[in-house]
Amino acid sequence: MKFAHFADIHIGSWRDPKLSEASTQAFVKAADACLEQAADFILISGDFFNTSLPSIDCLKEVAKKLKQIHDSNTPVYVIAGSHDFSPTGKTMLDVLENAGLIRNVMRGNVTDNRLKLKFTVDSKTGTKITGIIGKKGMLERKYFEALEKENLEAETGTKIFMFHTAISEFKPEGLESMESTPISDFPKGFDYYAGGHVHHPYLKQTEGYGTIANPGPLFPNSFREIEKLGCGGFYMVQGEKGRLNAEFQPIQVHNTFSITTDCTNKTPQEAEEEITNQTADKEFNNTIVTIRLHGKLRAGKPTDIDFRKISETLYQKSAHFVMKNTAALSSNEFEEIKITTKSIEETENLIIKEHLSKIKIDGMSAEEEFELVKNLMSTLNKEKDEGETTTTFERRVKEDAEKTLKIKL
Amino acid sequence: MTAIAGKIISGSFGSITVRQKQGANIEIGQLLTAQTKQGKVLMQVFDLLYGSQLSQQNLEMISGMKLESNNDLEIMEAETRNYTLAFLKPLLLINGKDAKVCKNLPEFFSDVTEIESSDTEFLEEPPNPLLLGKLRSGSKTTGADIFIDGQKAFSHHILIAAQTGRGKSNLMSCIIASALQNDYAGFLILDAHDEYYGRSRHGLKDVSEKTAYYTPNNPPPGTRTLTINITKIKPSHFNGVVQWSEPQKEALYAYYRKYGSKWIDAALTEDDGELKNLFSESTISVIRRRLTQILNLETANNTVSGKGIFDTQAGSTTISDIADDIENAKAVIIDTSSLSSQVELLVGSAIASEIFARYQNHKTTGRIDRKPTASIILEEAPRVLGRDALEQGQNIFSKIAREGRKFKVGIVAITQLPSLIPREILANMATKIILGIEMAPERKAIIESAAQDLSQDDRAIASLDTGEAIVTSTFTKFAVPIKAQLFETMAGNKKTAGYTQSFPGLKS
Repeated sequence: MKFAHFADIHIGSWRDPKLSEASTQAFVKAADACLEQAADFILISGDFFNTSLPSIDCLKEVAKKLKQIHDSNTPVYVIAGSHDFSPTGKTMLDVLENAGLIRNVMRGNVTDNRLKLKFTVDSKTGTKITGIIGKKGMLERKYFEALEKENLEAETGTKIFMFHTAISEFKPEGLESMESTPISDFPKGFDYYAGGHVHHPYLKQTEGYGTIANPGPLFPNSFREIEKLGCGGFYMVQGEKGRLNAEFQPIQVHNTFSITTDCTNKTPQEAEEEITNQTADKEFNNTIVTIRLHGKLRAGKPTDIDFRKISETLYQKSAHFVMKNTAALSSNEFEEIKITTKSIEETENLIIKEHLSKIKIDGMSAEEEFELVKNLMSTLNKEKDEGETTTTFERRVKEDAEKTLKIKL
Repeated sequence: MTAIAGKIISGSFGSITVRQKQGANIEIGQLLTAQTKQGKVLMQVFDLLYGSQLSQQNLEMISGMKLESNNDLEIMEAETRNYTLAFLKPLLLINGKDAKVCKNLPEFFSDVTEIESSDTEFLEEPPNPLLLGKLRSGSKTTGADIFIDGQKAFSHHILIAAQTGRGKSNLMSCIIASALQNDYAGFLILDAHDEYYGRSRHGLKDVSEKTAYYTPNNPPPGTRTLTINITKIKPSHFNGVVQWSEPQKEALYAYYRKYGSKWIDAALTEDDGELKNLFSESTISVIRRRLTQILNLETANNTVSGKGIFDTQAGSTTISDIADDIENAKAVIIDTSSLSSQVELLVGSAIASEIFARYQNHKTTGRIDRKPTASIILEEAPRVLGRDALEQGQNIFSKIAREGRKFKVGIVAITQLPSLIPREILANMATKIILGIEMAPERKAIIESAAQDLSQDDRAIASLDTGEAIVTSTFTKFAVPIKAQLFETMAGNKKTAGYTQSFPGLKS
């Protein structure tokens, strides 16, 4: 048996067309590698797309590749992640599943508030696959808490559990504030736990559980990830029950080169000079260059650093894309007011939690209220689709809001 | 009408003698009141004595005749002639909701009566209420709840002195459960008997959702595996836990300075010529051997791996997650029942150091007021706060005991041997909850360091039954006798919300 394990592809996450294209290309390259290496099936552990309904531009190439994978008799098993899940059920994943290109494996039923998952059996290998989706704000926690584990643990054969959740025990340094669930919430005895959500690859073994894997993103998703990871990748897993061997396969779409400069006690010209010196004797063929500046300038303003000139020089040296980050750069003349260092989602969660239970809603616990607010925000955050009229868009948002609020507007 | 228990007949300010009314059955520790012009004086019985109008010689004669002659001789008006004398100390002068230190004697020959509910109106609920139990009068429990300001009490340290089987775990569970109803304190519980979470019976998990449980043994669903990455251990965490010689200590710090968080890995695998020149080969081999043994590590092919709770792959955020939970006013229970005392203290030391450092930083940055008090609950406290332990140098627990109050970090030290803790540390513990202690030297240590004068309470302490306690605190107006609640009853009363859950995204 041989299978590939992808996660956090985030198609459509980058606004810049070059990086957006790179992200799509990462998926195409990884898919090609799977076809070349004759993988029996592919797992995508959440956040295939960056939103539940990505733009058409992003989809063309992806759908084409999925069709090719499908035609080569390589099933793609997925779960939704915190980005591409929608409480209304209207997602691109559903569209692709209805088209027969992918298969969502979170299947089952609910009895007495207990979640009983069913296995999806891969017809070629007989592997039994199930899993739990990821949701914003770790709302999937209640799925784990309600999960009926006995039937899953008692099932025989080669079993894979897909998830899109950070595991508390394996959270990497630097992601301390990431919400997580402990490994004790997972059913035991699976051969492979195919994880996503944590943009940091890891492979772990722990007693009672099989291999626990998280490949990280297929393509870096932020400035920091480009600096830290350089490139993304996936696991190619082969072997038989009890002897599965996972090998990380990097996907290098472009080279990366990161420059970090401490500008403390420098003038903008000196900072510029330092960047130029660091790049002077280098060629940047097909390379994404990141420039991070920090510290306090002795004189002038951060905007006095001529990034246009620096970028032009780098593009002349064949750089593919040049990015800068001056969030931690200040000067005596201009000091940015920092309100938070947390991510948007963390800030949102903090604000919601601060205001929970301020208005009493009968029969609703704080957790349910939190979930309702998150779902409502996600519903109201929809953008107008291409070709959609304003009236249709408004009706769609209203209907979705009605579903979320369980009322008639 | 209030039952008259006796009459004041003599004595001094600290020892008022009362003749007991026949049938009143006055007990050691009982609370009695006497009316004065200024209000009621609340008093407590600290000793009892037989009294008789007959001479000792006559009493001996009468008893001899009854014993040896088997006759039906009776003492005439026995109730008047023979009686009990009770010795009382004044506690407070109470006037409705007002209570102040008593400075007068009740009137000579005045009646003393049993305490009634109107006498406890002065026991008000403070801010940040921490319920300790019910007010106790002798062996009887009154209906009055005893609260103290939990935030202050926890930051100023609490000592719980009790011998085994006197109900300290029950009391601690009730106290923590009470605190968890509010958000003024977070707890680190080093649970050497794995009894607070309630793995197989009722525990804190049944009374509050604000609990986090870490165990190295088969964690129940929703709880964490206790695993700590070795990169999170610093040489200072070993202070008071492991005895190193000076050169060994220097070598540990030299590795730490050079390799930072990877110092343990480096100490076990690196063939560092520079450090070899500074330290003898035997010093380096001893620290290698001891680190391997204490942390239960294995080195194969120059790669270090963990065999116990200390790991090289997992647990990078455990200490930080625990500290976060405590800052969020949760109770973090660490099951240390299967760990050696040394490893238990090392884990505690690593977490306590992180909490203390964070709170020091909160103080510097002006955020301390918004933080709950962090309280570290430590069984067998003399292991780190005892004279012997402190002779080896300061450790994080003794540092917290001395300085933690300023940073809202406190210790709840549980021990049956308070005499082993130096007096200056005992005196720093502003609240002492005394359960039954049979050993006189231990009672003496507590009495000498109490917030109130307990010099007459030696007998009262010795006679405390299971669940009965005396609370002496700078945050109470007198040394309050209490009866702890039964945790089992509290946990059994918890209601579960019944609502139907939905699981969007689930396909049939």
